[in-house]
Amino acid sequence: MALFTRAPKAEPILGQNRMVAALLGVATWIIGLTFFFPLFWLVLNGFKSELDANSSPKLFFEPTFDRFTEVTEETTGLLSFSEAFGNSFWTVVPSTLLVMLLAVPAAYALAIRPMRKWRDVLFFFISTKFLPIVGAVMPLWIIARDFDLLNTRTILIVLYTAMNLPLAVWMLRSFFAEVPKELIEAAQIDGTSLMGQIRQVILPIVAPGLAATALLCVIFAWNEFFLAVQLNPVEGSTMPVWVASQESGRGNFLAKLSAASVLATLPVVLAGWVAQKRMIRGLAMGAIK
Amino acid sequence: MSNAVVERERELRADEVRRAGEVKRLERRDGWKRRLPILPALLFTIVVTQIPFLFTLFYSLTDWRIDKPEPREFVGFENYGDLPGDKFFRDAAWVSVQMTVMAVLFSLIVGTLLAILLDRKFFGQGFVRTLLITPFLVMPVVAGFMWKSQMFSATFGVLNWIIELFGFEAVEFATKYPLASVVVVLVWQWSPFMMLIVLAGLQGQDSSVLEAARVDGATSFGIFRQITFPQLRPFLELGTLLGAIYLIQVYDHIDVVVGGQPAAKNLPFYIAQRSIGGGNVFGLASAYSIVVVIASIILANIGLRVLSNLLEDDS
Amino acid sequence: MAEVRYEAASRIYPGSDEAAVKALDLEITDGELLVLVGPSGSGKSTALRMLAGLETVNEGSIYINDVDVTLKPPQDRDIAMVFQNYALYPSMTVGENMGFALKQAKVPKDERRKQVEEAARILDLTPYLDRKPKNLSGGQRQRVAMGRAIVRSPQVFLMDEPLSNLDAKLRVQTRTELADLQARLGTTMVYVTHDQVEAMTMGHRVAVLQDGILQQVDKPRTLYNAPKNRFVAGFIGSPAMNIVDVERTDGALRIGSLDVPLAPDVAAAVAAQSAKDFSVGVRPEHLSFTSDGLAGEVVVVEALGSESFIHVRTLHQSVEELIVVREDGQSTIDRGDQVTMTITGPVHVFDNDGERLGD
Repeated sequence: MALFTRAPKAEPILGQNRMVAALLGVATWIIGLTFFFPLFWLVLNGFKSELDANSSPKLFFEPTFDRFTEVTEETTGLLSFSEAFGNSFWTVVPSTLLVMLLAVPAAYALAIRPMRKWRDVLFFFISTKFLPIVGAVMPLWIIARDFDLLNTRTILIVLYTAMNLPLAVWMLRSFFAEVPKELIEAAQIDGTSLMGQIRQVILPIVAPGLAATALLCVIFAWNEFFLAVQLNPVEGSTMPVWVASQESGRGNFLAKLSAASVLATLPVVLAGWVAQKRMIRGLAMGAIK
Repeated sequence: MSNAVVERERELRADEVRRAGEVKRLERRDGWKRRLPILPALLFTIVVTQIPFLFTLFYSLTDWRIDKPEPREFVGFENYGDLPGDKFFRDAAWVSVQMTVMAVLFSLIVGTLLAILLDRKFFGQGFVRTLLITPFLVMPVVAGFMWKSQMFSATFGVLNWIIELFGFEAVEFATKYPLASVVVVLVWQWSPFMMLIVLAGLQGQDSSVLEAARVDGATSFGIFRQITFPQLRPFLELGTLLGAIYLIQVYDHIDVVVGGQPAAKNLPFYIAQRSIGGGNVFGLASAYSIVVVIASIILANIGLRVLSNLLEDDS
Repeated sequence: MAEVRYEAASRIYPGSDEAAVKALDLEITDGELLVLVGPSGSGKSTALRMLAGLETVNEGSIYINDVDVTLKPPQDRDIAMVFQNYALYPSMTVGENMGFALKQAKVPKDERRKQVEEAARILDLTPYLDRKPKNLSGGQRQRVAMGRAIVRSPQVFLMDEPLSNLDAKLRVQTRTELADLQARLGTTMVYVTHDQVEAMTMGHRVAVLQDGILQQVDKPRTLYNAPKNRFVAGFIGSPAMNIVDVERTDGALRIGSLDVPLAPDVAAAVAAQSAKDFSVGVRPEHLSFTSDGLAGEVVVVEALGSESFIHVRTLHQSVEELIVVREDGQSTIDRGDQVTMTITGPVHVFDNDGERLGD
């Protein structure tokens, strides 16, 4: 049964003999490092002085933490680092929780006991992402203003939830569809209520899939720039807006911006690094069905 | 027939009718129980997305301009009529198509290649994989800034530093090749996403099928083409769908990398320009947005229902 | 412990013209082990699931102990089911799996543990109580599935091909254990299988289904000796009964050159039929090689040790037929031998529609 046995690790397509395998390993390393290089360079620049950063590319220099302290302590832009970080955190986390709370029952309805028009419902969810946000931003702005929600976290929480819900419903549905029907029937015969079936039988099985979906929602919400800058120019500003504001009109700012960028992207990068294995397993489990 | 028999028959028939009624009632209640769990998500989505959509639809039928002091007037489909004559719209639409297709296609290809390379055991596999997924986790504005000022820049960009090493002249990529520059950044960011999806697909392969193919004398390339690739198809379709949905809406990258140069201006950017970006013709911009939505729905319908099996039910 | 009754129960899938189960009438007595057997698509699993409440009953009713359960959900029927794939909860240990239903019924923890341990003892599962299903062998998982059902002390056990995923040797061993267990517990059991050997060895009575219709329900021996129609005759018994289509010539039935001996009532029924086409069945053990009789050539010899089954190719009504004859295990008959055989036991005759004649 697929849930109990680990699928035999498929033989790789490439690299059957040892020589080729070794070469491929090296090649992969080189490609990996090259791919990562821009980020490496970014981090490097964060430790440079503005003088060093604004001259031709230097690999060796005298590193300094000054840029990092500059961005965390000053408030050259609209908000301080800690304020923007707090805004981001308290927008992304509640939004992702809300998304999961709404998407789990929806996925159940679409996968386990599908209603007749489930494909249409799924398509509707996806279609909500077709409207260019840029086109709808004016109505959103007006509605937000009328409800006194400009510059608040609430409006972003609501919008990020709507933004991520289609993806979450789509992915969770396919994970739920992976649960063998018999397992749920067994739970029914054993006398479990609907909530009990979800909680005790289904959720433990789809847990990696839930993690993968939640991570994707966090990534998209944390990195969202357009709505954040249009609807929350000042008080509700999130990390992406804060980073952009580090670009000042006067003088060189390359190193400072680099340092700011590193700090802003670090949380999501760390989360992604930690959860990547679960993400792949989650996707393999049933992102496709 | 005696009265008793007639009576019995009538009873049986009444029983049947009652049973049919009970079953129907049960099925209807069952139908509601099935639909109920999806209602919260559905209602939320409808309220939050459809209200702005309806507003946009409404504005598209007016001649609303921020700079005109007169109040909004209803002009019907006049805004839509302006579309065919608007050269900039056509240009932006063409850019959208190019940008989306190239970005999706190349990130799929790069992502697949990376997945194939990663789907093997070698020293530090996990570490390299970690390196490779990072671009996807980075903020678009940061990625854009990074590539623009540190890679593409003619003055202190790394790419040009390498080019000059070989004796060639520095190229200001962002100004000379804006569309390509944006696509490069997009592909750099989205390849990891495709890579993850394809990796998931590769790991689900049945090793006995691959072994059989090797015994039959197939080359690595042949195995990929005839066995692995068909199996990967649903994964590739998923990657294309999700990628396209997000890549059509690209805005941040264009702003940061090329500052909105016309050659790299896609529809969302153009629409933003005509409305909040200084154009101030909100009515027109709304109409354009509606057109984009309709076109997207049509394309997606074709893609999903005809070409792909993603919505196939296998229960 | 309960009686089960299907009354004209039908299951028609929406969008389909053909019913998966057609007007099933079946009575199962208290404490009986009734086997539902048939080929794939015969409706046996569907019938079982109708009893479980997992399939809607479109027409007719189902009773457990005279209570109409037709519209009741599974959790209200007091039944336990063992699935073909066992359906064990992967995130729970063996003990938790077995105690799950009791937990749902709010049985207190100590009572629950006692019952689980008792069931584990009966099934030799005690050392595995803390393991998760993924760390168990197929046979162990099967027993956990059984344990999960036993612990509940339900009115009826429902088994949906519980042994199909076991290897052959384990299957034979478990089959006797299962029958023994049922006899000891005395609980009514409805058992679905496609394997007629399993059906014959386990069931107190066996119900044969085909295309959703009940063909015959009887004790195994009756099914074997007096199959009601051609399908049952060919389905029950391994190796299968030899069945040939025979055209009545001069009022008599012949296989090749061999006269088929008919009992008087059968002969009369044959003669009374207006149609001339019949099917004649003879079991392999009711044929013998004699010095005179139907001639043929041996094509395959299945030497099992305890007995041998000889496949003979003969000519019957200008068509080649393969007849299987049972011989002693020490028989020296070989491939290519020319043999002659006669009928030395009962014969089964079926009319044009496959219905049994006589008896």
